[in-house]
Amino acid sequence: MAHYNAFNPPGNNADFAGDPGLAQAWTTNMSNIFDTATASVTAYLAHHGGGTCQFYNPVSGGGASPDLPASATDIPWNGFPKRHGAPGPGQPPQYAAAEAPITAGQNRDQDEYLEWFVNRQNGKIVSVHFTCEAYDYFQFLAQAAPQKVLALYQTYISPQVQMADLFPNGPTGDYDILNKWNTELGAMHLSNPANNLFAEVFLAASATVRRSQHGAEITQTIPLILCSKYGASTRNSDPAIGAAVNGLCRDGRQVTIADPVGLYMAGFNGAGLTLNGQPADGFFKIVRGAFPLALRAVYALPPGLAAQGLTVSDVKIGGTPIQFGGQLAERITMHIAGLASVTKDIHNAPVTVCGAVPQVDPPAQAPTSLVAGPARSVRRAGRA
Amino acid sequence: MSRARHTPSKPPRSSKPQRKPKPARKVKPQQAALPPAQDEGLLEVDDIQGNILGAFNKDHQLLVALAIHDVAAAKAWLSRVAPFISSVAEVAQFNRLFRARRRRLGHDPLGLIATWANIAFSHDGLAKLTSQADADGVPDDAFHQGLPDRAAILGDTAIGEGQPVSGHWVVGGAGRVPDILLIVASDDPAQLDRAVTQLCPGAGDLAGAPEVIWRECGQTRSDMPGHEHFGFKDGVSQPGVRGLVSRAPDIYLTERFQVDAPAGDIAFARPGMPLIWPGEFVFGYPSNDRNNGNPVPAQALAPTWIRNGSLLVFRRLRQDVAAFNAFLRAAAASLAATPDFPGLSALRLGAMLVGRWPSGAPIARAPAQDNADLAKDPLSVNDFLFANDTPAPVFRPGAGPAKDFPRATADPLGFVCPCPAHIRKVNPRDQDSDKGDAFDTLTRRILRRGIPFGPPLPAPPGGQLPADDGVERGLHFLCYQTSIIEQFELLQSDWANSTNNPKPSGHDLVIGQTADGKRDVQLFTAAGGTQSLQTDRTFVTMTGGGYFFAPSISALQKVLAAP
Repeated sequence: MAHYNAFNPPGNNADFAGDPGLAQAWTTNMSNIFDTATASVTAYLAHHGGGTCQFYNPVSGGGASPDLPASATDIPWNGFPKRHGAPGPGQPPQYAAAEAPITAGQNRDQDEYLEWFVNRQNGKIVSVHFTCEAYDYFQFLAQAAPQKVLALYQTYISPQVQMADLFPNGPTGDYDILNKWNTELGAMHLSNPANNLFAEVFLAASATVRRSQHGAEITQTIPLILCSKYGASTRNSDPAIGAAVNGLCRDGRQVTIADPVGLYMAGFNGAGLTLNGQPADGFFKIVRGAFPLALRAVYALPPGLAAQGLTVSDVKIGGTPIQFGGQLAERITMHIAGLASVTKDIHNAPVTVCGAVPQVDPPAQAPTSLVAGPARSVRRAGRA
Repeated sequence: MSRARHTPSKPPRSSKPQRKPKPARKVKPQQAALPPAQDEGLLEVDDIQGNILGAFNKDHQLLVALAIHDVAAAKAWLSRVAPFISSVAEVAQFNRLFRARRRRLGHDPLGLIATWANIAFSHDGLAKLTSQADADGVPDDAFHQGLPDRAAILGDTAIGEGQPVSGHWVVGGAGRVPDILLIVASDDPAQLDRAVTQLCPGAGDLAGAPEVIWRECGQTRSDMPGHEHFGFKDGVSQPGVRGLVSRAPDIYLTERFQVDAPAGDIAFARPGMPLIWPGEFVFGYPSNDRNNGNPVPAQALAPTWIRNGSLLVFRRLRQDVAAFNAFLRAAAASLAATPDFPGLSALRLGAMLVGRWPSGAPIARAPAQDNADLAKDPLSVNDFLFANDTPAPVFRPGAGPAKDFPRATADPLGFVCPCPAHIRKVNPRDQDSDKGDAFDTLTRRILRRGIPFGPPLPAPPGGQLPADDGVERGLHFLCYQTSIIEQFELLQSDWANSTNNPKPSGHDLVIGQTADGKRDVQLFTAAGGTQSLQTDRTFVTMTGGGYFFAPSISALQKVLAAP
C-alpha cells in the first residue's frame, strides 16, 4: 500500500514551483477528495453490510507494504469518444459530430477525458491541440493563484488572453471554465462536465464496492457499471476503470490512485502518418507533461514545412488525408495509474442492491478546502 | 440510494480463503433443454464464396496473383472460371461430411477429398471490371488505399535505405498490386495441379487474358499438421458465425454444442467460440452492436452487388524459425538464472509468449506443462476466459467434453497467461480493452484462413538449436472481415504492436512490430513483481500481400464477368 507525503500536481507540472503554500493547498484539496470518496464508500458499505472500504487516501493512509507492479494496475482506454465511434462495419467514425464547433458557454461533446481543438485556417487544419487536464485543477488554481491561470492560457493558448476573459467578475470572482479561449478559440483544459478529477477519484472509490444480483456476483464490465452507476456505460473510460478496480477488489486488494492523480495520455500511435511520403508521426509533440503522464499535446507541422504552404490537412494516415482532429484523437491511448496492494486481505460480501454511492462528507474535514467536490462554476450547455 | 430506503443489512461475511486452482473433478457436463431458437436469418450460402464462411481447410493451397491488361479478355476468362468458384453451401456440406466420417472412423477418411477455388479482387481490379465509383462503393477506406499505403500503419518496415516499405515484397508492392487473387485448395496435390492448370489463363483464353504475376503454394506441415513453423498449433480459436443454412429447424452454419446464453450474455456455439452476427464478415447481414452484442441491421450497400461479399486480407509472413528458437532458448536460460523463474524452459517461455503450448493447449488451463489430451478435445481447448473464472458451459443434450480438465481461474493481471501473450493480445476475450468490453472485442474478430508455406526447418538431433538453412518459410496469412480498419488493422496496429493496448504490459513478441524493432514484455514473477523481457530481433517479416474484395458468386457472374 502506497503512502505519500503529499499529492503532486497533475503530470508533475511545475505550477507550484517556488510556492510551497500552493503545493500544500493542493495536497489538502486532493486529500479532501480522497477522504470524501473513502467516507462515502465506508458509509455505503456500513449501510449495506458490505464490509471494509478497500479504497484509501495514500496521504493520510497507506503504508510501506508493497503494491503490484504499475503495469498490472494501469488502465487504458481510447481517447476518441465511444459514442461517436464507427457505428458498424464499413461505416466511419462520426468525426464531424465529435468535434462540432462550440461557442463560449458550451462544452465539447468529448467525454473520454481527452478533448481537442482544431485550428483551421482557410478550411485547412493548421494544428490540433489536445488536453486532458481536468477543469477542477484549473478551478483550484483560479481560486488560489489566478495569475498562474492567466499565464498558462497565455503560454498555451494565446498571448492575447486577458484576465477579464477568464474572470468576468474580476480576479476574485468565479473562474469561467467555458470562456471563449477554452471553447471556440482553444482548449486549455477539459470542458465536459464529466471530465474532472473528483469524478475520477469518486468513480474509482465507488467501483471498489462489490455487487451481486440474483445471487451471483457481478463481474462483467457493463452490468457492473449499470448496477453501480459510477459512470456512463457508453464511454470507453468509465466502464474500463470501474471493472479493473472492482476486479482488484474481488481479489481482496486495497486500491487507490497513484500520485500524481490525473488522467493522462499514455501513448500516441503515429504509425502510418505521412507527409509527401515521409513519416509524419514526429509532428505530434507533448508540450506539457511527458508520456505516460502527458497533459497536453499539439500536432502541427514544423515552421519550415508550414512556410511551404503545407498543413496538417496534407498529412495522410495510411493514405487517407486528415480532415478531422478525431483521426488523431483515436490514435491516443489514455490511462489512469492505479495502485493495488500485493496482499489480498479484504473479502467483502457483495452488496446485493444496485445504486450509486451517495457522497458524504468525511468525518473530520481538513482545515483548508479550496475545492472539493464537483465543479461549482461550470456553465453547462449543449449536453445534459 | 437513500438511507431511509435501504433494506436491512446482512452481517458481514467473514474473510474467505484466497482462491486456489480448482482441481479436476469428474462431473457430468451441464445440460439443459433447448430454448426456442433465435431466428438468425438465412445465409445465402449458394452465393457466398466458400472459404469465407466455410473454410477450405485443405492441406495444399495455391495462391495465384493476376494482373488485368485487357478488360474484355479478363471478363471472358472470369466467365470461364466463375462456375468453378466454390460456395459456402458446397464447402460447408463437405466439411460436415468429413467431420462426421472422421468421428466414426477415428481418423481422416481416406479418399474423401475435394478441390475448391475462390477469387478476390483488389480495388484497382474492381475498378477495371466495373467502375471507379463501384469500386469506391465497397465500404472500407483501407481497401480503397490498398495494402502498400496501409503497410506503415501495420508497422511494416522497409528493407534497405531509402526503399519503400513494400519495396522488398515478392507480391503486392507499390506499383505491383495484383488485380486478382485466385485461391485454389485441395486435399491432394495432383488434383490441385490439375485444377490450377484448368483455371489459370492459358491457350484457350483470349489474347490479353489476365497475366499470372506470382504464385506460391502453401501446405500444412507434414511433420506437424495444423502447426505453423514456430511449432504452435494454429487456427485453434475462430468465431462462430450466426445464421441458418436452411429453413429446416436448427440447421445453423455453425454447429451448436452449447445452449443459448441468457439475454445480455455472450452466446457460444461451443466453449470459446462466441456467436457473432454474419455482418461482421459478410456484407448485407446484421452485425454486432459493440455495446451489447445485439444485431444491428445491415447498412444499405451501393452498388447492391457488394452483398454477400467480404474483404480479404492476405499477408505473406516470413518466419525466422531459427531466430525465434534461439531467442526462446537464450531468454529462458537468462530468466531461469534468476530466483523468479526457476527451471524455466524455452518450451514454457514460448507457451507464455503465445498463450498456448505447441499442442494448442491453453496455458490458462495447463499452466505447468503441455496437455495433449486437452489440446485434442475441441470442446475444451478453447474453453477459457482471462479476466474471470471460467464458468462450466451448459451443453445441449448429448454434447460435452470427452474428459474433464482443470478449469481456468480468473487471471485478470496475467500471472498465468501474460497479457502480452499472442492469443491474449489479439483476442482478449472477457478482458476489457482500450476499445471497450467483451462485446466490443467480438466486433474485432476475423475469420482466419491461413496456411504455412515453405518446408519445416529440420531439427538437429540431440536438442541442439537448428541453424537457419536459408530456405524461406512462413505463413500465408488470410483473413475475412467487413472492416479491415476496425478488425485486422486494429488487431495488428493497435494491439499487437502496442505496449499499452489492449492492456498494458508489453508487445506481442511473436507478431508485434515497431519502427526500430524493439519490443518488450513484462512477465509476472511468483512474488508479484515483474521481469522485463526485451528483443530487437524480428521473427516475422512481411514479404507481400494485399487487400482484396471477395465478391458474391452472382456478382462475379453477372457484374464482374459481364461483358
